[in-house]
Amino acid sequence: MKDTVGITALVPPELIYACGKRPLDVNNVVPGSSSSPASKLCAWTAVWRDMILSGELDIDSLVVVAGGDCHNALVDGQKAELSGKPTHYFFYPFDGDTDYFRSQLEKLSLFLGGVQDDGIITRITDLKSRGKALDEQRVNDRARASDVFSALISFSDLAGDLDAFERTLDSIPEADVEYTSRVALIGVPPIYPDFHEVAEGFGLHIVYDELPYEFIRLGGCDLDSLARNYTKYSFAGPIETRVWFIQDELRQRRVDGVIHYTQFACHHTLEDEIFRQHLDYPILTVQGDLPRPSSEQLKLRLEAFAEMLEVMP
Amino acid sequence: MNIGLDVGSTTAKIVHMETGEIIFSEVVPSHRWRELIDDGQDEKRIISTGYFRKKVPHFTAITEITAASLGARYHDPEAQVIIDIGGQDTKVIDLRSNTFIINDKCSAGTGAFLELAARYFDIPVDSLGDMHQRATKEVQINNTCGVFAISEMISQLVGGYTMEDVIYGLHQAFARRIAQMVPPADKVMLIGGTVQNTGIVDAVNAVLDSKIEVPIAPQLVNALGAALYRERSNSSR
Ligand code: SF4
Repeated sequence: MKDTVGITALVPPELIYACGKRPLDVNNVVPGSSSSPASKLCAWTAVWRDMILSGELDIDSLVVVAGGDCHNALVDGQKAELSGKPTHYFFYPFDGDTDYFRSQLEKLSLFLGGVQDDGIITRITDLKSRGKALDEQRVNDRARASDVFSALISFSDLAGDLDAFERTLDSIPEADVEYTSRVALIGVPPIYPDFHEVAEGFGLHIVYDELPYEFIRLGGCDLDSLARNYTKYSFAGPIETRVWFIQDELRQRRVDGVIHYTQFACHHTLEDEIFRQHLDYPILTVQGDLPRPSSEQLKLRLEAFAEMLEVMP
Repeated sequence: MNIGLDVGSTTAKIVHMETGEIIFSEVVPSHRWRELIDDGQDEKRIISTGYFRKKVPHFTAITEITAASLGARYHDPEAQVIIDIGGQDTKVIDLRSNTFIINDKCSAGTGAFLELAARYFDIPVDSLGDMHQRATKEVQINNTCGVFAISEMISQLVGGYTMEDVIYGLHQAFARRIAQMVPPADKVMLIGGTVQNTGIVDAVNAVLDSKIEVPIAPQLVNALGAALYRERSNSSR
C-alpha cells in the first residue's frame, strides 16, 4: 500500500502521485462528520485536526498549505506535527512568482521522497480533461450540479486512487436538468453535505463551483510547467485577480445570481463586501458552521433567493 | 378573491384582496390561525407565508422575503429597502439589487428582545412605545447583544434612571443593532408587528440617515404581499 499524504488545501496532486504517494484531501472527510470539535474557529480545520490527532484519519504524513490559504489550517496543522505526524509546509506565492513556486515544488518533492514516475501525470491530465467536460455538461444543463460537484470536489486528490476515481466519473449520469434559475457558488465549498441537492430542490441550478473548478486546472508535466500552472491558482492570489476570473466565468455561464458561501470565523467572510461591489448580480451570502445537513435557516435563504430570482423584476 | 395568510412565530394575519383592494384583514395569535380561515374555504385561494407557511392550508407557499417585497411595493412602488422586524428574526431586503440579509442567530434587534425587556418590567410589550415618548433623559445602552443589554439596562435602573429613560436607551440600542444590517438608501420602509411600537420607529429614524416610511398596518404587509403574489399568478394566466 502506498503512503498516504494528507493535504489541507490544493497541492498539485500530479506531483504527489508522481512521487509514488497517495494524496488525501483531509477536507473531504469533514462534511460526512457529525462531530462538534471543542477547540475551533472554523469547523473545516478543527474536524480534520481532531481526526488526525485521534488516528481516525489514517495518514502517514501531512502537507499543510501554509501560504495562500488559511491561518487556522496552519495552526491546526502544527498541532498534528506536534503530535508526531511528519509535516511539510507548502507556500503559494501571493505575487505569482513562478521561480519561487518552482522551489516550493522542489522542496515538496524532496519531502515526498522524489519523483518516481512522471508518466502518471498524463493519466491525471486525461482525468482532468474529463472533469472539464463534466463541468461543461452541467453548464449546458446536461448533468445535475450535485453529481458534478461531488466529482469536481475530489479533483484535489483524485480520490487517492485513479482507477476508483475513473469509475466514479464513469458513473455520473447524463440528465436533462430543469430549473428556474442559474446560479454560481463562490467562496469556500459548503460544509453541508446536501447543499447542492437542497438548492436543486428550490429550482437553483448551480452552474459554477468556484473552488472545485480551480481544482481541475489543466497543464503541467514537469516542475516548470506545473509551477506556471499552479501559480495561477486564484484562491491563493490577490482578490482582484480572483474577481476578474469570477466575472468572466459568471458571464460565460450565464448566471442569474451568485451564492457566496463562507464559514463562521473565516477571513473569506471579509471578502463579501468586495464581491458585492464588483459583481453585478443578486448575491446571497451564506455562512456555515458545523458539518450537518442543511438547517431550516439555510433552506429559507435558498428558497427566498430562488423566489427573488424568479419573481422580482 | 385572493387570500394572503401569514403565520409567523407570534401572530397570524390574513388579508383578502379583490381586484387590487384589501377587503378584509385580521390578526390573531399564531396558535389560533385556524380562526382566520372559514370552514370549507377554498384552499386554492390561499397563498401562505411566514415561518409556518408550509404547515397551514395553501395553494402556494412563498417565503416572507418575497411576500414582504411584493407587499412593500404595493404601498410604495419606489421602495428601496425594507426592514422587517419579526418576532424571532429581522430581515433587511434591498429591492434595488434583490438581495437580503436575515438575522436569525441573535435576539437583539428582534421582537423577542423587546418581549424580554417588557417581561422584566412586567408591562405589556405594546406599551413600550408610550414609555419611550415619556423619557426625559438619554440613557446609553452600549451592548448590542440582547442578554447583555438587559443586564446593562438593570444597572442603569439601579443607578437611578427611570424605566422610561431606560426603555428609550434600549430602543436606541435595538436600532443600532438593526442599522448594522441596512445598506445606504434614500428610503427605508419599516414593516412587521414590532413597528407598531413608535419608540422603535423613532429610534431607527434617529440612527439611519434615510427617510423612514411606515405603511398603515405594518404587521399586514407580508399577508398582503402573499395575496398579491396570487394576483400576479392570476394575471399571468
Ligand atoms: S473555510 Fe476559511 S477558515 Fe475554514 S478552513 Fe477554509 S479558509 Fe480556513
